[in-house]
Amino acid sequence: MSEIMWERDFGEAKRKAIHEGKPVYHDFWFEG
Amino acid sequence: MNTGPYSDEKVQRFLQDNFIMVKTQCFFDKPVELMEQFNIKWTPTLLIHDKAGKEHHRMVGYVAVNDLFAHLEFGKAKVFFDTDHFSNAIETLNLIIENYPQAAITPEAIFYLGVARYKKHHDPSGLRKAYDALKSKYPESEWSRRAEPYSAIPGNS
Repeated sequence: MSEIMWERDFGEAKRKAIHEGKPVYHDFWFEG
Repeated sequence: MNTGPYSDEKVQRFLQDNFIMVKTQCFFDKPVELMEQFNIKWTPTLLIHDKAGKEHHRMVGYVAVNDLFAHLEFGKAKVFFDTDHFSNAIETLNLIIENYPQAAITPEAIFYLGVARYKKHHDPSGLRKAYDALKSKYPESEWSRRAEPYSAIPGNS
């Protein structure tokens, strides 16, 4: 998954947060 | 990948019901822009954002399920508190205090409950109640020491 897709997903999450009135849970993870 | 308590079925259900969920993969040899933006230096790091993307709560590392639930509720409460929705903040903080008395973040929830009550009602007795609760239930907590100045506020006890 490219960097631009993580940015896109975060932007989409913020749009959903406005629409649904919920906060955003953001999980930064590492595949070790 | 998420492991341990974060992959628990109850946790996943709670997250889906209460939050918009998003994940960002971290590469420490070449940090992605979101890692730079939120200064992510270790994983797992969990952030709670408001709808504008502003961070209100952060948790690094793994904790037990009940501690995680308390952190997630606290994140919700901090969004309410920081955006001046004090009635909602009070309701959520009370829920943490009642349901997760053993959670590490509960003394902080009591502290913020006192402040939220003060900000909502403009009555300093809320701060004194927070001090009394912290002193009696969590005397060793740093939050008990932070509330120490409120001991000078007249109270019922």
